[in-house]
Amino acid sequence: MTADIAIEERAAAELRREVARQFGRSLHIRTLDTGSCAACEQEIRLLAAPHYDLHRLGFFFTPAPRHADMLLVTGPMIRAFAVAASKTYEAMPEPKLVVATGACALGGVYPDDAFTYGRVDGVLPVDVWIPGCPPSPLALLQGLLVAVGRLAEKVSGLSFIARSPEGAHEDATAGGAA
Amino acid sequence: MPQWFIRGLRRGIVTTRYPGHPDSSVSSLPSPPAFRSEALARPAHQRAAPRPFPPNPYGRGAAPSAATVADLLVAVCPSGALRRDGDTLVFDVGACTACGACRRAAPDAVVSSGEFELAATSRSALVKRIPMTAGAAA
Repeated sequence: MTADIAIEERAAAELRREVARQFGRSLHIRTLDTGSCAACEQEIRLLAAPHYDLHRLGFFFTPAPRHADMLLVTGPMIRAFAVAASKTYEAMPEPKLVVATGACALGGVYPDDAFTYGRVDGVLPVDVWIPGCPPSPLALLQGLLVAVGRLAEKVSGLSFIARSPEGAHEDATAGGAA
Repeated sequence: MPQWFIRGLRRGIVTTRYPGHPDSSVSSLPSPPAFRSEALARPAHQRAAPRPFPPNPYGRGAAPSAATVADLLVAVCPSGALRRDGDTLVFDVGACTACGACRRAAPDAVVSSGEFELAATSRSALVKRIPMTAGAAA
């Protein structure tokens, strides 16, 4: 069991190295809207604005899946779009990455909706997940850099437990009021 | 055109140096909540308010009366990012829309995490378990 995990981890590390070698300096992105409200698209568009300027990092947008290395998917993957989405994915040359962007794509907003798959990995194999509603351009930038192996993933080390110095004091007051 | 050129020279470089240096706008970005474990098991003093967003017709039901602060938070979350599992509050960062409903409902139990670098290479890394310590009031 532990040996299997070690083998898997070694394979994952090797894959990350290979992705960084292939895509670390230049990556072409095709965006795919699978039924999003276009807030994510607004933020993706801002990546090309002067303040964020993703071209300085070697990322480029391309209109054709055949020229794309990465599929940046937004929206909850509506069922009517599933065939088009998988055709887009198949049209991309190997190796390819899929990044799910925004809470819808991650299964947050429409998890039980009859007209959607609820999340992108119902149809496409997802490599990197970027939370946010919408994710800010900086969050998207970090996601892209994680996807190509130039930044380490940070969220798995976060606990989202707040430790506050005034916590004990608030405890006392709330106890008195109750 | 000449005015743009002069204005551009005057403003200097506006591009962020983000991966190398922190960006100045980080503190104003919306960020998912962080929870105070010791406050989650306290009895809730208020009933769960109606959902702030149009109610989702596809499930998760209406907000029930909440016994603890954690139940209150689960009831007010409009995107179903929170769920209770025994003495643990399960927080799905991927489903969170950073709307702030939980912070408004229980300001003493929920603070802003201030994190924006949330990209994950596995979906399960985004699901966080927050223990409800300090006196099980439920």
